[in-house]
Amino acid sequence: MTLQWGYKRAFWRCVLLMVVGAALQMTLGDFDNKFLRYPWGLIFAINYLYLLLLIYVQGAKWKWLQQLSDGYAMISSLASLMVLTIIFGLTRQDPSTTGVIGALGFSRMTSSWVFILVLFYFTTTLGVTVIRDLHHFRKVRLAASLSHVVVFVCLTAAMFGSADKERVTVSLALDRMTYMGQTRDGEAYELPFALTLREFKMEEYPAKLYILDTQTENSSQEFLLAESEGAEAQVGEWQLKAKHIVDMAIRMPESAEWREMHHVGAAPAVKVEAVNKATGARFEGWVSCGSHIMEPAYLWLGERYAVAMPRREAKRYLSRLEIMDDKGEQWRENIEVNKPARIGAWRIYQVGYDTQRGRWSTSSVVECVRDGWWGVVQVALWLMLAAAGVMFLTAGGRRIAKKSKEVKQ
Amino acid sequence: MTWEYLIWFAGAATLCWVAGAVMALRGQRVGVTAVMSAVGSAIFFSFIVGMWLSLERPPLRTMGETRLWYSFFLSVAGVTVYARWRYKWILSFSTLMSVVFICINLLKPEIHSKSLMPTLQSVWFVPHVIVYMFAYAMMGAVTLFAIYLWVRSARVEPQGEELGVCDNLVRIGWAFLTLGMVMGALWAKQAWGDYWTWDPKETWAAATWLGYLLYLHLRQQTRDYNLLFALLIFNFLMLQMCWWGINFLPAAQGVSVHTY
Repeated sequence: MTLQWGYKRAFWRCVLLMVVGAALQMTLGDFDNKFLRYPWGLIFAINYLYLLLLIYVQGAKWKWLQQLSDGYAMISSLASLMVLTIIFGLTRQDPSTTGVIGALGFSRMTSSWVFILVLFYFTTTLGVTVIRDLHHFRKVRLAASLSHVVVFVCLTAAMFGSADKERVTVSLALDRMTYMGQTRDGEAYELPFALTLREFKMEEYPAKLYILDTQTENSSQEFLLAESEGAEAQVGEWQLKAKHIVDMAIRMPESAEWREMHHVGAAPAVKVEAVNKATGARFEGWVSCGSHIMEPAYLWLGERYAVAMPRREAKRYLSRLEIMDDKGEQWRENIEVNKPARIGAWRIYQVGYDTQRGRWSTSSVVECVRDGWWGVVQVALWLMLAAAGVMFLTAGGRRIAKKSKEVKQ
Repeated sequence: MTWEYLIWFAGAATLCWVAGAVMALRGQRVGVTAVMSAVGSAIFFSFIVGMWLSLERPPLRTMGETRLWYSFFLSVAGVTVYARWRYKWILSFSTLMSVVFICINLLKPEIHSKSLMPTLQSVWFVPHVIVYMFAYAMMGAVTLFAIYLWVRSARVEPQGEELGVCDNLVRIGWAFLTLGMVMGALWAKQAWGDYWTWDPKETWAAATWLGYLLYLHLRQQTRDYNLLFALLIFNFLMLQMCWWGINFLPAAQGVSVHTY
């Protein structure tokens, strides 16, 4: 394959950009986006759009400007971005700066000058293409044009809005008002609102009972799902049966018996019958995963094996929060995973809880996130869904097939 | 419905798919052939619905469960492409690939737990995974076709119409990759607070998406089919990395939130 001059020039431009990026990385260190904080991100974004317009308009006069956004530039920047994304995927992301990978910033790819310059170049060629698409709009290119616009909007918003994102983790203790959190860099952050955890609730999946090999500490692949009393399952050579299930139980002092009791620290317990299919040996007893105050209980099947219950998996958990904004207004919201609360540009996400205490947790970890550019990105993402829909519906391909035939001839 | 029934449903579905593929190759009527294959897909889908009901959640969580959808969508993609563009070979391809994935599920069954962690309990879960599986199915089909054309190119040069088939399949597949990625972004914002976090799965999804985008743009500028076919195969390898390869990739160990 002989590369056309246009491609050679375009790919050399990308290589040069990467070399410049590497030099900047080695001299200045990681790319710091702090200079893009509001309002500067917005100001730079507006100027960038104006610059793109200038490149498009002046492209007719200046050939080198035109070459920044021609087909060769598009292919070369797209291929370069793909290669860097593959390197991104192959490199473990950590703060290390040692070795060639670390020195080039590839182990912190989103702060690497090489990646940012190539992404910026790609976005620029795309931006000029968007202007061209809009200037010479053709209905047959609707899907492609729409895709160009929305990808451009997403990338521009992501680049110029990156410094305005705040992620603040807040640890909440029951009935204690908190307005301080911690950023990902470990810095203290004062929130423009105060949060109080009023209640933490958790639902769990039914208990699963495994057979544990106490010598190797391996548990069986199969398990008995203690969904309802009478549930049975074959686990290895044992037939397990859940005879009695108690959701909240306490082990009686000096006894192997568990009794139902709704009390802080109560744990789920299952009375199990295990019958060995080969030998006919039969065991019966209580099994529990325990809690932060109760020891777990096992049913021993001879000397080596035992029936064990790991901690039940969380089905859903929610924090009942009392929120007070900077004007002193108060209201209550429930937050759970996938259902954040919203206060202006902030969203509050349920992140974690005290896993030692499980459903008896008296603390909750939430993350407060602010992204001022999310509105723009959200519109672009919904439009992207529409663009993909149009692309699917118009993928008849007659035009391309015909074109290929013409090319062949 | 349990996994033990898979062999019966898959067996019946495969019979219909094979019959459809043979009918297509013999040039029988498009309508009858498409219906025969679609019946196979319907039988297979009824197993998925049965699993959905008995698990009390959509069977989309484990690798084994996503393979079910992959087999199903491959067959649906095959029937759709056949009905729309009448490519005789496509049903044979889609049947072959569906059966391969069914065999993997039969030979390597996994323990399929009923529980669904809170993050996965979202309206985006089902469409996000389903559109991705459909995209993967389309990309699987185009990869096989590209390999066929490439191997055959020593004797017969690929025709413009045949390359057009590749374009169509990539365009449809890429549209679905985009749908999956955007739905994932909207979901991520709702679940984790950010629409894009460069998680290893996301990074490889981006690389794959860029790879197919490169094909679509390159296609309009070059007639070098060696380069195009190589790119299609390379892209499919990236797609495998995104789908399951990251589970074994040292750089992604312990850092991906996409591990269920």
